[in-house]
Amino acid sequence: MGRKKERFYTKKHQRGSSAVRIRKAALLTAAILFLDASEVRADMPYDTYSYNYWGEEVKEPHSYLYAGMISGDEIGTDLSYPSDLFVDDQRLYVADTGNSRVLVLSMDGALETEIGFAKNEADPLKNPQGVFVTEEGHIYVADTGNSRIVEYDSAGNYLREIGRPVTTLIPDTQEYSPTRVVVDGAGRIYVIAYGINMGLVEFNGEGEFQGFMGATQVSVSMFTYIWKNYFSTQAQQDRMETIIPTEYSNIFVDNENFIYATINNLSSEDREAGADAIRRLNPTGTDILRRLGQYPIIGDLEGATFGYDYSSFVDVAATDYGCYFILDETDGKIFAYDYDGISLFVFGRNGIRAGNFQKPVSIGLSGDESRIYVLDNTLNRIFVFQITDYGRHLLDAIRLNNMGDAEGSTREWQEVLKLNSNSELAYTGLGKTYLTEGNYKEAMECFELGNSKKYYSKAFSYYRKEVMETYLTKAVIAAAVLFLVIWLIRRIRRYRRWVGEVRCYMQKN
Amino acid sequence: MLYAEKLKYVFYVIFHPADGFWDLKREKRGSLSAALTFVALTVLTLGIEKLNTAFLFNENRISEVNVMVDVITVLLVFTLWCVANWCTTSLMDGKGRMKDIFTAIGYALFPIILIRLPLVLVSFCITAEEGAFYYIFGFIAYAWTAILIFMGTMMTHEYSLGKTVFTCIITVLGMGIILFIGLLFFNVISEIIVFVSTIYKEVRFR
Repeated sequence: MGRKKERFYTKKHQRGSSAVRIRKAALLTAAILFLDASEVRADMPYDTYSYNYWGEEVKEPHSYLYAGMISGDEIGTDLSYPSDLFVDDQRLYVADTGNSRVLVLSMDGALETEIGFAKNEADPLKNPQGVFVTEEGHIYVADTGNSRIVEYDSAGNYLREIGRPVTTLIPDTQEYSPTRVVVDGAGRIYVIAYGINMGLVEFNGEGEFQGFMGATQVSVSMFTYIWKNYFSTQAQQDRMETIIPTEYSNIFVDNENFIYATINNLSSEDREAGADAIRRLNPTGTDILRRLGQYPIIGDLEGATFGYDYSSFVDVAATDYGCYFILDETDGKIFAYDYDGISLFVFGRNGIRAGNFQKPVSIGLSGDESRIYVLDNTLNRIFVFQITDYGRHLLDAIRLNNMGDAEGSTREWQEVLKLNSNSELAYTGLGKTYLTEGNYKEAMECFELGNSKKYYSKAFSYYRKEVMETYLTKAVIAAAVLFLVIWLIRRIRRYRRWVGEVRCYMQKN
Repeated sequence: MLYAEKLKYVFYVIFHPADGFWDLKREKRGSLSAALTFVALTVLTLGIEKLNTAFLFNENRISEVNVMVDVITVLLVFTLWCVANWCTTSLMDGKGRMKDIFTAIGYALFPIILIRLPLVLVSFCITAEEGAFYYIFGFIAYAWTAILIFMGTMMTHEYSLGKTVFTCIITVLGMGIILFIGLLFFNVISEIIVFVSTIYKEVRFR
């Protein structure tokens, strides 16, 4: 499929005459020595944009800059088709699938531990595709080739293994190949396995099978249903696609123990119905993702309209304050959304320039979101993206607002607006703080600029009340005075008429 | 004074459509100029509505609104209906002339002005939660106009109810056909122009 637009920044327009160019070259050499983020910006191998109220891509300053990569050279050993990356505060954990091992790296990429075996040397891992680390530092590995989950302590010592779930719900003929694993705060273990479309496989802390969780509902259009069940022949039915629920492509546990689950194969019925390609599941498997945005959370919106490939979500990472970053395989983009499901920014792309992906598979956030790590399955390296001032202000504004710090949030939103005066998000955010402070008029202005009708209505209702309270008494008094004056005038006229009539009468007689 | 009275008569028409439309034609209590005034006001109303409705209820992107497009659309639909209606009714024993149809439809547009123009002001005073009223009244305006157009057609052509329904359907179809033929002509003519200009160029460059 074709790329949408070939967007590259050029510095062409900045080039002047040769004399100027020489001086510029000298300056440039000097500048390189003091290279900072803003200098690099123009050379980023991708654009950053966000979707506005009208569903248009609006370019904005970069939120994250490509800051380098961690490849075999930094690690000291080459990766081979790695498929999962986990980032905690101190380390990176990579499921190095092709080499049948899990690597524990420092933040700079130096190899710390290599896990290649389960119980002992005679029991190696086989193409592990998932890795997860708990708060205590226990490492869970989805050992795909051996159909088991293996748990290690923080030093990489084997603790236990959890094998195939003991249940009749999965037929014996069905292979069990766990690909991703997460563990929530209560010790429940959730596993995605190949070909199991009943949802996530759930184990309790002891490793006993508990059931399936968060199964996706099958949506069938009325036409398909009637055609399939009442009109088609057996031969036709055999050739039809079976309608099966979508499977999750990846999972992530956030700090509140809710599970973000991405879907990379939304059916066309789901798309038409405006379904999202991500869910946030509570422990009972109910989707509780907030959706106050104008558009479904499916990545690029244009894919739907103009027939380009849809974004295909392969991984997600969430912050502690409800923002989440979704990795898209189709275009190699990272979509960031806030807790309301409104597009924050989009960046990254697939390509051949330094900083472009080939086949991104996994995304990880450092503790304070200052860095984003993206694992590439084909290039066998980890890309590192560094947050910019703009991105920092944006995320801080949301974080502070989430913490209830209106003042700090206002300050940050104002900084965001200085750098990007198109930011609807910032206007809306600023409006929210005005709203809590009681500056309804300002809040309304901000919400109008931010195209947020919901909040505008809220601010307006307060403003109206305020206006009513101020002017209602005055209005009533004014009306009463008016009535009185009219009444008096009428009275006087009537009296005069009466006087006139009386005079007339008197003159007649 | 006469013109003002004919304008004022619209209030009788919209509340007593059967009687009103009958007298409109038979007693000459309405006039074409008054009807055209209402058409102009309707166009104005829709323009004002698009540009000036409060932020909460304005679905349009102000920077991209082109009032001329709306003006032409309204006038086109109005004219198309009248012409198509005249075409059908003259084949179906309609008693109305072109002028009568124009007048009746013009008067029938009045509820749009009467309701939707004040609604623009109202939109500044209500919140999204109270928006139901706004939308219901907006809908009532159109429904009322539709009923009036129906009644107007019935009275102007002295039709029965069933025949009016049938005529209205045919009129809508007729509008489609006229539009189709119009576009066809437009296409053919532009092709001809291109053809002629090409020939001219060829001859000139020889």
